[in-house]
Amino acid sequence: MTDFAKTVKKLCDASVKDYINPYSFLDWPEALDLEQWFTSPELISLYGTDVYERLTDAEKKRLSFYEAVNFFSLNINGEKSLVQGLAERLYRRGNDEITRYLHHFLDEENKHMVYFGGFCTRYAGKVYPDKKMVFPRDYEPGEQDFLFFAKVLIFEEIVDVYNVAMSRDERLVPLARQINLLHHRDEARHLVFGRQIVRDLFAVHSPRWSDETRQRVRDYLKGYLASAWKEYYNPDVYRDAGLEDPFEIQEMAFESAGARAHRNRVSKGCVHFLLENNILDQEPAL
Amino acid sequence: MRTETEIREALKEWIVKANGKIQPEQLNDETPIIEQRIISSLQVMDLIFFIEKLSGKSIEVESLKVGVFRNINAIYETFFHVSVA
Repeated sequence: MTDFAKTVKKLCDASVKDYINPYSFLDWPEALDLEQWFTSPELISLYGTDVYERLTDAEKKRLSFYEAVNFFSLNINGEKSLVQGLAERLYRRGNDEITRYLHHFLDEENKHMVYFGGFCTRYAGKVYPDKKMVFPRDYEPGEQDFLFFAKVLIFEEIVDVYNVAMSRDERLVPLARQINLLHHRDEARHLVFGRQIVRDLFAVHSPRWSDETRQRVRDYLKGYLASAWKEYYNPDVYRDAGLEDPFEIQEMAFESAGARAHRNRVSKGCVHFLLENNILDQEPAL
Repeated sequence: MRTETEIREALKEWIVKANGKIQPEQLNDETPIIEQRIISSLQVMDLIFFIEKLSGKSIEVESLKVGVFRNINAIYETFFHVSVA
């Protein structure tokens, strides 16, 4: 049995052991008082800006609710394409070693959408829509598979930093903490799997790619990291929280030095992994 | 309210800035910005935010047809042109 097969077996065993019913596990209050924290203040996209500092405590908490709806929405949107990609790879020739785990991965991603969607639709009456678009193009052998898992890894590594912090934050409404905790429990396994498969796929395929393709892959991943972060600064959130000039606020917040330092801090683990494995050749500008 | 010329100019300026290499005179309203990779698929999300800001209307990405971002003409016709019955 290869090392990867051993890891996959361990992850499958842990998924079976940690299995929970997403429809009965959480208690959903009829309504939520919005004058509570739903997102850790330090993780609110406007934290540290003048706009944020001028808000009253009640307005900050209201903003923290819509930030949570956005965080859960961007997870749902990411997970929808993830589920699609995982399903395509089930039982594909050459995937025997991972198919068993792909079943758990799919199952767990669906559960996450049940939690996130349950919160967003019950308390905000909506999920913020996805603004991303993908255009079809040609790939070199292995490039599409590698990019699929590398994008999943980047997305999940960032989200997990938020999940861990918020699952421990006692200021937060218990339901928000629980959802973050439940997500993190599964994601911890997905991250182990993600790092292993991304490392393996890059090692197998990248030596056969042309220099141009390797550069294209690197440029794409750097761009993906930046665009993944852009979703955390959503003008619809600012509008719903009652703030004026939401697009100006988005630009101001994204460009602020504090936000840039925050993005670098949160992305550090993920970027280190990509550099260490020569997947990226330089730090991305975030 | 912006005129058609101002909107087209604003779109052009945005695309030139987002690309970072192209000169304004190299871009006209029919230049295929996606096909020529002047704008990447990852930058389209930013372009959507910019169009929402310019038009004051929310964009339902899921309902968009392929090709709406192919050039400035297509973007203008899709998101700004008001048809007169």
